[in-house]
This record gives sequence, C-alpha cells and structure tokens, in this order.
Amino acid sequence: MRWLNELRRRMHFSMHTARYDQDLAEEMRLHLELRAAEKEADGLPAAAARAAAQRQFGNTTRLHEQGRDARGWPVLDALQQDLRYGFRSLKASPAFALTAVLSLALGIGANTAIFSIVNAVMLRTLPVEDPRALVEIKQGEMAELTNPIWEQIRDRQHAFSGTLAYSEARFDLADGGESQFAQGMWVSGDFFRVLGVPAFRGRVFNKYDDRRGVPALAVISYVFWQRRYAGDPAVMGKILRLNRRPFEIVGVTPPWFTGLNVDRGFDVAIPIACEPLLHPDRSALDSHSNWWLNVLGRLRPEESFAQAAARMNLLAPDVNRATLPPDWNPQDQAEYLKNLFALSPAARGFSETGSQYRGALFLLMAIAALVLLIACANVANLLLARAAARQREIAVRMAIGASRARIVRQLLTESLLLSLLGTGGGFLLALAGSRFLIHLLSTTANPLDIDLSPDLRVFAFTLAAAVLTALLFGLAPAFLATRVELERALKENARAATPGASRFDSNKALIVGQVALSLMLLVGSGLFLGTLRNLLTIDPGFQRQNVLVIDADFQQASVPKSQRVRVYGETIERLRALPGVVSASSSAIVPISGRGWNGVVQAEGFNATSFMDGLAFFNRISPGYFKTMRTPLLVGREFDAHDDSVSRKVAIINESAARHFFGSVNAIGKTIRLERPRDERGAPDLYEVIGVVKDAKYFSIEEKPTRTIYLSSAQDDDPPPNIAYEVRSSNSVERLIPSIQAAIAAVNRDASLEFRNFETQVSDSLLRPRIVAILSAAFGLLALLLAMIGLYGVTNYAVVRRKREIGIRLALGEQRSSVVWLMLRGVARLLLIGILCGVAASLAAGRLVTGLLYGIQPNDPLQVGAAVFILALAAGLAAYLPARRAARLDPMAALREE
Amino acid sequence: MTDQTKRDEIPPGTLYMLILKSLGRHGRLHGFEMANWIQQLSDDVLQVEEGSLYPALQRMLVKGWVTAEWGLTAGNRRARYYRLTADGRKQLRTEMAQYRRVSDAIQKILQAV
Repeated sequence: MRWLNELRRRMHFSMHTARYDQDLAEEMRLHLELRAAEKEADGLPAAAARAAAQRQFGNTTRLHEQGRDARGWPVLDALQQDLRYGFRSLKASPAFALTAVLSLALGIGANTAIFSIVNAVMLRTLPVEDPRALVEIKQGEMAELTNPIWEQIRDRQHAFSGTLAYSEARFDLADGGESQFAQGMWVSGDFFRVLGVPAFRGRVFNKYDDRRGVPALAVISYVFWQRRYAGDPAVMGKILRLNRRPFEIVGVTPPWFTGLNVDRGFDVAIPIACEPLLHPDRSALDSHSNWWLNVLGRLRPEESFAQAAARMNLLAPDVNRATLPPDWNPQDQAEYLKNLFALSPAARGFSETGSQYRGALFLLMAIAALVLLIACANVANLLLARAAARQREIAVRMAIGASRARIVRQLLTESLLLSLLGTGGGFLLALAGSRFLIHLLSTTANPLDIDLSPDLRVFAFTLAAAVLTALLFGLAPAFLATRVELERALKENARAATPGASRFDSNKALIVGQVALSLMLLVGSGLFLGTLRNLLTIDPGFQRQNVLVIDADFQQASVPKSQRVRVYGETIERLRALPGVVSASSSAIVPISGRGWNGVVQAEGFNATSFMDGLAFFNRISPGYFKTMRTPLLVGREFDAHDDSVSRKVAIINESAARHFFGSVNAIGKTIRLERPRDERGAPDLYEVIGVVKDAKYFSIEEKPTRTIYLSSAQDDDPPPNIAYEVRSSNSVERLIPSIQAAIAAVNRDASLEFRNFETQVSDSLLRPRIVAILSAAFGLLALLLAMIGLYGVTNYAVVRRKREIGIRLALGEQRSSVVWLMLRGVARLLLIGILCGVAASLAAGRLVTGLLYGIQPNDPLQVGAAVFILALAAGLAAYLPARRAARLDPMAALREE
Repeated sequence: MTDQTKRDEIPPGTLYMLILKSLGRHGRLHGFEMANWIQQLSDDVLQVEEGSLYPALQRMLVKGWVTAEWGLTAGNRRARYYRLTADGRKQLRTEMAQYRRVSDAIQKILQAV
C-alpha cells in the first residue's frame, strides 16, 4: 500500500508542479537571505555576505532542478523528452513520416478490422450472467433436439442449476401480401431467468409460460421496442401480430441483451408452448422427429463440465426410451436408444458467420499479418536509409557522451511514435473497415447485425500490434545506426561510416523478404480470383438471370390440404398469363436456397452398398419448371397436365442419378421406389422415370454433382402449406412484383409472400469466395505497392550513395543505358532471389488453402507465372525510375557536390 | 574557502537521517533551522552543502516521511516548516538502528587492530 500512497502523492505533486516550484524557490531564497543576514551581522559587507551565503548553499539552479526531479517521474520525463525529439525529427522529414505512417496504418488497420470480426463472432462471450457456465446440450453430434427430449431434460434436470431451450425463427409482421419479417425466438419459460436477463419493462417469461395452451404472449427486444413503438412506455398489453396471430406484449428486454445469436439481434421472443398457434396442422411440440430446439444448461457453481456431462448421461437411457420416435424402423430405433448427450461450451453464443467463415477469417488474418510484415519491412528499410543520412548527427551525440543505450532508446521511441501514429490511423480504418466488411457479408436472406464496437480485447490486440511492429521494424535499424565508428563518421567525406556491408545486407534481406511475401500474396489473390471466376462462369445447370422466386406461405390462409394442389396450380396459370412473364412454375425447393430434402431410394436393378450409396436428393416440381430454370432435358419428357393424382406416379431424374442408379443416361421406363416412413398403408411408393435432365446445382455452386430426383407436385398426397414459385421474365424481374402480388391475391388474398431475385440468391451464396477474392486481391495490391515503395527507396538510396561514381562514369563517356543497368543490376538480383523464395513459399503454403479453392490447383503454373510477371513488372518499374534519374545526372553537378 | 577545508563532508546517505533526527528532536523546523542545528550539534565538523537539504526534503515529501506547511518565523518572515509523519518516525528508527549496526561493526574492526 505504501507505493500506492507514494503514487498518489506523486500524482498530486505533478498536478501542482508550478505551486511546488514556487514554494521551493521561496524557501531557498529565504535560506540564502537569512544566511547572508547572519554573515552581515558578523561584520561582512553586504555583497560579500551574499556571496559567502551562496557559496555555502551551492548551485541554486542545479539544486532547484534536483528538487523538481525528486518530485517528478524520471522515466516519464525522459520519455517525454524522447517523444518531443522524435516528433521534431519526424516533422523534419514529412515524406518519410507519411509513407511510414500510411504503410503501418494500412497494415495495422487490416489486422484490426479482421480481428474485431473474429473477436465478435468467435471470441467474445455473451453479455449475460456468468456466460462461462453456459453449456450447449447436444445429442451426440446433433445440436438440435426435439421438444419431447427438451421436456425430458427440463423435467429431470439434476445436472444443471438451470436449463433453457430456444429456436430461431422469422415471424411475419405483415397481414398478408408481401412478408415483413421480424427476427424471432421460440424460448422456454426459464430462458431469461437462466441467462440472468431481467425485464427492462414489464415482465419476462417464467416457468408457468411453459404450460401447454398458454396464452399468446411476447417479450420484445429493446431495439424492436424503439424501432416499432418508439420506446412507448404503454406498449405492455398491446397486440403484436406474428404470422397473423395476435400476441400480447408483456415485456421488453434490456438494451444489452441481443439474444444468443451474435450474427444478429432478436426482435421478439415467444414461448415454445405457443408453437401450435402458428403451426396448427403440424405442431412440433409432440413430434419425435422434428429436431428444432437448441438446449443450454447452466453448470452448477461447484460442478465441472465433465461432472455435468456424466450426470446427463446417467439420464440418457431414460430420456431415449421416453422420446423414441415410434414410426422409425427397428434398426434406427436401436441406434436411437444408444444416443448419449454431449456438452459443448456456449459462452460465446451462436454464430453462423463464425463457423461458416472460420477458415476464411483465419486466412484473411494470415494475409493481413503478411501485409503488416511487408509494411514493417518497408518502414525498417526507410529507417535504415534514414539512419545512414543521420549518422553524423548520431556520431556527434555519441561523441559528446550519449550512451549507445540512450540513443537506441531515442531511435526506438521514434519507431514507437511512428507505429503509434500508424496504429491510430489503422484503428480508425479498422472501425470503418470491419463495418464495411460485415456490410458486404450481410444479405437479405442472412442479414447481419454484429456488434463490432471495440472492446478491451480489440484494444489490447491493436496495442500489441503497435508495440510488436515498432520493435520489429525499429530494433535492427536502431542497433545498426549506433554501430558507428566515430572518427570516420565525423570526417567530412566518409559517406559510409556504418559498417556498410552489414547495413546493406539487412537492407537486401528486407527487400528479398518483401518481394517473396508480396509474391505469395499475389499468387494467393490470383488463386482466389480464379476460384471466383470459375464459380461465376461454371454452368450450374440453370440460368440464374431474370428469374424471380416467390416464397408463398398459405399456412394462415386456411386453404384445406385437399385444395392446395388446385390452388398452387391455378396460381401458376395466372402467373403465366401476366404480361412480361416468359414462363412460370413451382417447386418445393429452390436451388441454392440452403434448403434440401433427401432420402434413400431403391432403384430397379441397383443394389446400394451403403446408406450413402442409396441416397438421393429430391424436389417436387410443377410442369414448366425446367423450362423456367432453363435446365436442358436430355431424354424423355417433362411433367405435363396429364400427370395428376390419379395417373401413374412418374419421376424425372438428373444425369448423375441416371448414371449412378441405372448406369446410363437413358433410364426412361425404369422404376424407383421411395421409402415412406409416414405412411404404413403397405403399398410400395413406386415411380416410373419419364425423363432425364442435365445436372443442376442443388445446395451450392461449389458442390459436386448431386443425384437428384424430381417428383410431380400434382402427385403429392401430402402437400405442404408453403410453396415456391419461379417466374422468368423477359427483362427486369423486380418490375413484375406488383402484378404478381395482384395475381396471387386474386387466387388467395391471405397468402404471405416473400420475393427474391434468383440471381441475387445465387450470387449471395458465393459471398465467401467473393469476399476472399476481393480482400486477397486488395491486400495483394497493397503488398505490391509496399514492395514497390521499398524497391524505389533502395534504388534511390543506391543512386544517392554512388552519385560521385556515376558522375565519373558519365564524365568518362559511359553510355547512359549502361549506368541504368549498373543501378538496376543489384536490384535485379534481389528481385530474382525474392521471386524464387516467393514461389517456393507459395507452393508450400498453397496446400493450406485448397479447401477455399474451386477448379484451380494451388500450384497452377499459369497463376504463379502471372503473379511473377506482375511482380517483376511492378518491381522493375519501381527500380527503373530512380535508375533513370541516375543516368540523367549532370556529371559536373554530381562531381561538384562532393 | 578556508573554513570549508577544516570541515568534513557528511557521509553519503546520512542526510536523510540527520534531517529526520532534527525534526524528531524539534518537531517543526524550516530548512535554515535544520542546517544550523546540524552544524551546531556537530560542533561545525559536519559540513552540509546547505542547498542539498532542499532536494532531499522534496524527496522526503514524496516518500511521505515529512509534511510541509507555511508559517511565520520569529522575525516575522514567511517560512516553510517541516514536520515528521508517522512514516517518517518509523523511518528515523530504522535508519538509526541500521546506522548503529554499521558503525558498531566498523568500530569492532577498528578496535581489533
């Protein structure tokens, strides 16, 4: 505690430094006067008395300084001195300072921007009570659980101090027509209590809201409350219509709580027990095979992860027996009974961005780190050149007694100053850059609202980057600069007093490193750009342009199941009749939407060797689907109006399925049997193949060909309440929206509609490769620019150093072109070594990114060659400019200057 | 100059102890009084470069051994008076104990010859 008091006193003194200086001066003056008066009383003349007093007292100025230093902060004062000196010397060479600060700002900015995203989606814990005690309860690998399993866990929870379940959903706020979605959550009654989230207004849910048949209640988020209700305090008791059902608002959550998904906040939470209200005909509450809930537990204070897992697994057999899906086949049921629970940490919440972009984010961090490294090399180079220019100054300071350590400290302070300035700029860049990046990543289907406000971790990261870079680029030049031979440096004409060879060696090493790293980044950006090009130009089996997709939900439109096929068909007829519509169709699944449906099939004459071998993906489509999507039919025919519920069941398969199941594209007339777990009527579900179409992408553009079987929507005995329409138009599809809305309303006024441009949907699915390509290209260019600056600087320095030699050569009649070559020769060798190193490094590092490439090999000779060409061209240009200037020197002027 | 030669420099590091002692004895002194007290009690043997009292006092203020306040001298002049704090008293005790140990030890060695 003593040092703390001393610190407090020091602070006090340094805040009132003027007053204490005055006090000190006054008491010293008094002392001198009293002593002089005493001497005068002893008989000395006044002037002699004063002199004697002063002699006895000592040097007033020095003592006053010592007194002031006693109160001060010796280390800080020296630092202040160094900083002031550093500022002055940077101001003296603004071009150098600007280049250095800018390089660093870009390097540090890139790193901090990526890091703040990594921090937000992968590192930061949820803003709830003791987030580290939260664990996710999974069944084996399955993160989602059924409601019956959740109820078992909830009612038998001995393992945790609390458990909660939740599921994300979108709720439609519009009363029919075009949908307007709110981000929603289904939550268990204890959700808010277990997380430790109190009500900001009104109340949150409690365990009584977990009872079946609970009234329709909603808790809204602070953001939603502000946005929709302008923070109206009288919002409690108001009715909010979600998917057209009335929900009574009972509470608002605090501003800091944004849900468990860090990718986006939530607008409204409603109890899981209300689920049947929104899905009256297929409630998930008692379904044993609808996996939709994420379940979290809070560890008891004294319990470890392993203990909780062990306790949970004691329960597993009972839970499994109680929740066994009755309609499964015995094999699967036996497997189900073996299920065990697995726990995983949930302190950081959930983020698809975090998992989906994990590899990409790490790659970008690595790239950004390389860019920073190049920037450091650049600044180090500049500092080395500068040290050469300052060697006389440094020699003078050392000659008059400055220690080497003191000068190294001074030079390092300058480096730190540079890096702090760079960091400041970089931090501002990062604030904007990370937001811009998230803006790029955000799509209509996946809107991102990630909290990127910098926290302590981001600050610490940035600061660490600043200090590290300062050491990285400052240490070596500082030591080299102080290794001077005094007499030589002080002599008028000695140009290279620092042991020239060693400084130039480190200079050369830096250039080689820069070239190598830049080449790596260029090769990388070439590969990622190539990947993006491949993905954009590949034939996906459909034509994405000019197609509008309409997701229509008839759930609340009370269309009875028996009428659905008719309503869906009639809607298509009306859509086809619209002016500007080329063709229209419907499907259960729209390609590249992230939704899918698969199952095991038995094909005629095909014996599946494994589960995966018999697997195929399905879609259920209307006539005209292939025409609308422009998927070419290879053999046979499309569905038509004659394929209906009474006619023979038919299927169209794609090329891959035909080859896989039947060994040839021509599979017309073959039979496919589907497994039908839901229906135990006994009759086999048989389909005759009537057509084979070209392969089309199903989930993603990157995927390998997917075996796909298309069934007819007219032959669906259990049509779902929602369907997707595809409309192809002759030009801009968005202009059709009003007339499409009217056409569907004419069939059914109550359908909820969501419009999407198919092209946008496809290109959004390529967001990751696009972002990686754009950013790696940007970083690659940045690296190239930095390397050019480095080469320019080095050549320029060589020109300045050898001015006299050049002057003599020119005076003796040497050709200007040979002078250019003289200057370029050294650089060319460095460039060559750098390129060789860079190619080797690229080949070695290429294996690490194969997962992010498509249709291109990391050692693609064309890509590597192109990168080498671009780099050599840019570097040659950067070195040529100062070399040409050397050749244009006036020999007389160059010689006279020496 | 002549009067300086017959005086001895005070041993380094003992200045604090002397200041603390003077304040311990008198309770409240200003710098000039301290300088006089040290000189008189040592029969003018110990020589302080009088001014060096003041940086020392600043350091002692920072360490919290003494406090300072402005007051008036007998001659009605404004002077800065110092006083020991509890920490200062403790420091005086430890410095004196340490000094005694060292000087006893030195004495033993000298007597052994």
